[in-house]
Amino acid sequence: MPNNLIPALDPASLPGPPWLFHGLWVLTFLIHLLFVNIVLGGTLLAAFAGHTKPGARETQTFFVETNAWVISLAITFGIAPLLFMQVLFGRFFYTATILVAWAWLGMLGILTLGYYLNYVAKFRLRAGKDARIILIIEALCFLAIAGIQVAINLLHLQPGRWESVAQGAWAALGDPAFMPRALHFVFASVAMAGAVLAYVATRRAAKDGDRAACLGMAQFGLRAALIATVLELLDGFWLLFALPEEVLKGFMRGGPATMVPLTLGILLGVLLLVVLGQITDPLAQEKKVRRVAELIVGTVVFMVVTRHQLRTIYLAPWRTGEHTAVATQWGPLALFLGVFVLCVGLTIYAILRALKDKPGPGEEAA
Amino acid sequence: MDYPIWNLSMGGGVLIAIVAITHVWVSHFAIGGGLAIAMVETLSVRRRDPALRNLAKRASLMLILISTVFGAISGVGIWVTIGLVQPAATSALIHNYVWGWAAEWGFFILEVVTALLYYATWDKVRPRTHLLIIWLYFFAAYMSLVIIQGIISFMLTPGRWVETHSFWDGIFNPTYFPGLLMRTGICLLLAGAYMIFAAMREPDGDARARLVRLMAGFQVAGALVAYGGYRWWEHALPESVRVIFLGASPIVAALAKTRTLVLWSLALFLLFALFAYLAPRVQRWPVALLALLAAFTFFGASERVREGIRKPFVIRDFMFSNGVLVSEIADLNQRGILAKATWAARESDGSQVSMGRAVYRAECQACHTLDGYLSLRKLVAPADADTLDTILSVMRAEGDEYASGKYMENGHVATQKLDYPHMPPLVGTPQEIQALKAYLLSLQKPQAVEVTHAQ
Repeated sequence: MPNNLIPALDPASLPGPPWLFHGLWVLTFLIHLLFVNIVLGGTLLAAFAGHTKPGARETQTFFVETNAWVISLAITFGIAPLLFMQVLFGRFFYTATILVAWAWLGMLGILTLGYYLNYVAKFRLRAGKDARIILIIEALCFLAIAGIQVAINLLHLQPGRWESVAQGAWAALGDPAFMPRALHFVFASVAMAGAVLAYVATRRAAKDGDRAACLGMAQFGLRAALIATVLELLDGFWLLFALPEEVLKGFMRGGPATMVPLTLGILLGVLLLVVLGQITDPLAQEKKVRRVAELIVGTVVFMVVTRHQLRTIYLAPWRTGEHTAVATQWGPLALFLGVFVLCVGLTIYAILRALKDKPGPGEEAA
Repeated sequence: MDYPIWNLSMGGGVLIAIVAITHVWVSHFAIGGGLAIAMVETLSVRRRDPALRNLAKRASLMLILISTVFGAISGVGIWVTIGLVQPAATSALIHNYVWGWAAEWGFFILEVVTALLYYATWDKVRPRTHLLIIWLYFFAAYMSLVIIQGIISFMLTPGRWVETHSFWDGIFNPTYFPGLLMRTGICLLLAGAYMIFAAMREPDGDARARLVRLMAGFQVAGALVAYGGYRWWEHALPESVRVIFLGASPIVAALAKTRTLVLWSLALFLLFALFAYLAPRVQRWPVALLALLAAFTFFGASERVREGIRKPFVIRDFMFSNGVLVSEIADLNQRGILAKATWAARESDGSQVSMGRAVYRAECQACHTLDGYLSLRKLVAPADADTLDTILSVMRAEGDEYASGKYMENGHVATQKLDYPHMPPLVGTPQEIQALKAYLLSLQKPQAVEVTHAQ
């Protein structure tokens, strides 16, 4: 499809085989998304956990304490997919970000605000104060970031829309797939955060935690996961039919390669509803609660694959005739793999040692 | 060049500078602070000194809030900003150094997790484990600098990369080690400059004096190492870069002044540091704050110099600051700049002035704004048509000189021999150059009207 607004390919060769970049991209994006789901869904659940209900304060405390870590990890694991994506599709991505430059840049300010608000909420809750307003603002920050990310993602896939967005950046929100896609991320995040909350509550109850509070947390988490999953399934169909016709057709014609991951993702979603419907006493059904969390992670895995395939289909007509030379930088690639293995190994070692190396009675702590 | 051009009244370069300088103030503390905290806690364990332990604990909250939150986000911010302002250069860097960045990301995972773990495990693990975590943190943080310094310095002095396009030639370029030494010093001095505030919160007077002296020691050592690194770095620069801001008559006087600011602010910082070291009992927060500001000024100004002397390139000898490649000058002179700059070209309605505006957007707007930073309207105000003609002709001829390799010396362009050594050459067809001239002249008209009106 001719479009002279698409920048030329970078003259440099790809420093590694495309399949490797695709693989690393999907893998790191999956990890990023799991953390993002906890951040976004967790903040929403914390904001709407209520005030007086049993387990409400524990829910808020759990998410703000957890998010103090998880936001950092979400950012850290967001860097890698951003990197690998730029190698493969930089010319589409940069163009989309420049067209909505202020939103893309403003996202950093919103992220900074959201992160610091999480710390404010954390210290307020530790001091026994109310943090609901702060949590609501924090949740709005993360919702706005999700919206910006979805808008840019859709825009970089559709060079045919660039001209109209260049006339006015708000046109980026005019894509029929914007709302269902944004909601798809929001519902998934709420479902996952709810499942994690319920699982943590059952673990706490098993370790002699406050039973009423744990029950309140688990019920709230599971209810949120149930509602969000139902909405997610409905929204999924909306999203599918909001896709441009040629993209939908391309997806359907993809055969098992595209249909298997999508079907498995939907089936896992349905199975998730079944398991959620079977839980009547979450504290007594710890295994089923854990199964809920596992099913959600499984669904996310397949949906990330589907999302990646959709990108390829969206961009296919714009990349006709694209030929990229590959000159693998073996030494630097080995450096990356070596550093990655070393650092992940050291990270796991540090975490395990911190978990196990508790001072004995009468022994000094750090 | 063939990307959309973001209209930013302050200028894209200024935005990059704001984001990047803010980030390095924090990121270098994140490294030096890691070392300082690791050393302080190690000493506290060996000497069983609770004051040292409390200092490490207080500083660790600072480290978390500043480095893992603001540092991480502003680090991403640099990516976001350069992608918006210099997409072609960003793409070139990504294609060359993606594995370097990916390796840095590996260290970053370890850095972030150990930072969070360290803060969370106070009073919960044995001291040896806690020390292991903070030393791992410092290792990861410093190694990320070891990698990123290669990419940053590459842009100014790509060295043999221009010929070989080898990853390693680019990383271990002529200013790699001097820059690394300078940044190591900066990490140390910033650690001392930040953590002295935590030291001054120690309630016991004797202990406070000890802690302040210790942090001032970091400041003094850091300042001396940074000074040595800076001078070595200047020495390692090629002649074509040195003449821009060094010597009796530097090409860009503003950068020479900024260099003076670099040295004087470092000297001032050293004075404050020595004062704190020699008289720790009288150290007060306004003095510590002034020292921190002096450190920021030194580092910010040195970053400004490094960025400024890279012009007219964004990657020296390879890509100009407006995204034009040295290798494509001849081709663009034939085909026209607007054949490549399609986003700028689409704004042209076919008239000469609008075509000239498109050429301005494609070639000039990377550095100049119309009325703000490096205002083009002000620059062309005194010029008449003949003068402009001469200037533009010379600038276009310089493109031929780049393309012919006339001024190549030791594999690098001797930009100092050009009439406009700090500006990319003007590239395009004669028709585009004439259009640019017409546009630049049209910028003078509103002023003329204003003058007439005032009279």
